Amino acid sequence: MHILVLVKQVPDTEAIIRAQSDTQLDIENKYALNFFDEFAVEEALRIKERVGEGTVAVLTLGSKKAADALRRGIAMGADEAFQIEDPALEEVDGYTTARVLAKFVEGRDYDLILCGKQAIDDDSGAVGPALAQFLGIPYLTSIVELKIAADKREARAAREIEGGREIVTCPLPALFTAQKGLNEPRIPQVAGVMKAMKAQIEKIDLKALGLTPEEVGPKTKIVKYYPPKKRPPVKMIEEEFPKNVEVLVKILREQEKVI
Amino acid sequence: MEFSFTEEQEFFRQTVRDTIDRMIMPKVQQLDEGEEFDFDLWHEFAKLGYLGIRHPEKYGGMDLDIISQMIFYEELFRGDVGFAMTVTMQILMGTYFVGRFGTDQIKQKVLVPAIKGEKIGTICFTEDQSGSDLAGTRTMAALDGDEWVINGTKMWITNAPTCNFCTVLATTDPNQGLKALNFYLIEEDMPGFSRGQRLKKVGSRSSTTGELIFDNVRIPKDYLLGEELGKGVRYAGEILNEVRVMTGLAACAIAKMAMDDAKQYANRRIAFGNPIAQYQLIRSKFANFWAWYEAARWYCYRCAWMIQEGIPCLNECMLAKMFATEMCLSAVDEATRIYGGNAFAMEYPPQRYFRDARFLLYGGGCHEVLQDYLGRMYLRED
Repeated sequence: MHILVLVKQVPDTEAIIRAQSDTQLDIENKYALNFFDEFAVEEALRIKERVGEGTVAVLTLGSKKAADALRRGIAMGADEAFQIEDPALEEVDGYTTARVLAKFVEGRDYDLILCGKQAIDDDSGAVGPALAQFLGIPYLTSIVELKIAADKREARAAREIEGGREIVTCPLPALFTAQKGLNEPRIPQVAGVMKAMKAQIEKIDLKALGLTPEEVGPKTKIVKYYPPKKRPPVKMIEEEFPKNVEVLVKILREQEKVI
Repeated sequence: MEFSFTEEQEFFRQTVRDTIDRMIMPKVQQLDEGEEFDFDLWHEFAKLGYLGIRHPEKYGGMDLDIISQMIFYEELFRGDVGFAMTVTMQILMGTYFVGRFGTDQIKQKVLVPAIKGEKIGTICFTEDQSGSDLAGTRTMAALDGDEWVINGTKMWITNAPTCNFCTVLATTDPNQGLKALNFYLIEEDMPGFSRGQRLKKVGSRSSTTGELIFDNVRIPKDYLLGEELGKGVRYAGEILNEVRVMTGLAACAIAKMAMDDAKQYANRRIAFGNPIAQYQLIRSKFANFWAWYEAARWYCYRCAWMIQEGIPCLNECMLAKMFATEMCLSAVDEATRIYGGNAFAMEYPPQRYFRDARFLLYGGGCHEVLQDYLGRMYLRED
């Protein structure tokens, strides 16, 4: 079973982010493997362990910092890592990323492709489904359970829906995006960490993929970044119960006009 | 001159930090208040392989470079200090002599399981009347045929209540002071080995500490750990550099945690209509801490680099340990002042940093002894 996991290095949730200009962000130098991608890596490793054979490869598109996402994947247990890096890929959107990744996957023999349901930096959730679309394979998003049939030709996945679970099957190869709850990602062992520290990461540019920058230019454009409005301070209602409820309702109705 | 971490070392730090954040951080308060060694956590942690970072791959270790080892210790001490003490005892002093001088049979019996966390080790220097004054050691070792017979009592032993084996400093002749000291391996199942009182401590409370008693413990001749008799103190000196830099970085980690908590508090606590972080006297505490912290931390890494390069650095490592510890003691004190009255309540973290930091004063040599020695070294005319 050959499994490919798409990973992305994203700003840490604690990193301080400021809008430097309309289209540029100033991000503190604190990065981590995307929260949802970690579930995808873990699931790939578990499937490989259950099946008892195969490989897990991690793939990312991005410059220098992106390699750490791959190292994290190796530290957890991935066998191979690939980094697509090209000066023409500084400005990308979901379309560009999916197009480039599709070109990488074509001609390679993967039974399964896994990725996080979204990257926590742009939250767009587009790359997984778009890649599956380009490859012409089925995809299931936000899965919380994944089982591979004994003949390895079909997968059965579960998704959380309003008030219950939805069970879906599809033929392989297919792409799945991971939701929280799929598993509990392992903490890497130091042997894996050392392997990751020493790992040579194969870098691939657009030319090697047979693509030109024009072919994969983004379809969307960022117009403006702006921070959310600061929350006003909490207003305590001083009156005793039940008078305070009356005051609250009055404020919600007359001042805030939300009820 | 290039003085920075490699990308690989940065990645290693990030991974260790993440491990400590996930595994230890949620339990810090509970570990401190419980005052018990957490065996479950120990075994879970041991599975990750960090207990072998200093030892050769042949025995299940990782043979990691010194800088990366120090990065590990610094990140480890951000979490529970008691747990970190047990871990560092296992990696450094607890297994050093076994790893360096033990026969292959001893290494298979003791070192291999220690790296897996299946056995807990410790070192026994201190006695009720001697600590930094090693020449005052009274525990006796006498050769009787093919066996050494050990008699004595050791005090303030990290892991005493839980250890499965220990490396014991003993003298063959108390009148010969430092020249008669050697290290011996003793296992818990040997007749005559027993555990005495357990000590209740101010800080690092999840690592258990106490007394070990050796009453006519007979050990095989090759359980003497050292190539030459009477060289124990020199052998100890050769690992103390690492212990001192590790202690210095532990100090840096505790200080940073305390001041980062204080930073959050200062930004939120309102007094006279403003967050207290807006007052100059509060800001000056952070500015002073920052300067001393950076100086201490980078001096520790400079010493780690010297150890790695094989450059003699006994004095430098003492300076680093002493300076970083004093910086930390000042930082944990300042953190309590920033928290004001709340620092006096057990619900808030400053009291824990304040208590935990005290062990730094004694580990790796008490400051009065270090100061006396270093002063003497500086005043010496060549």
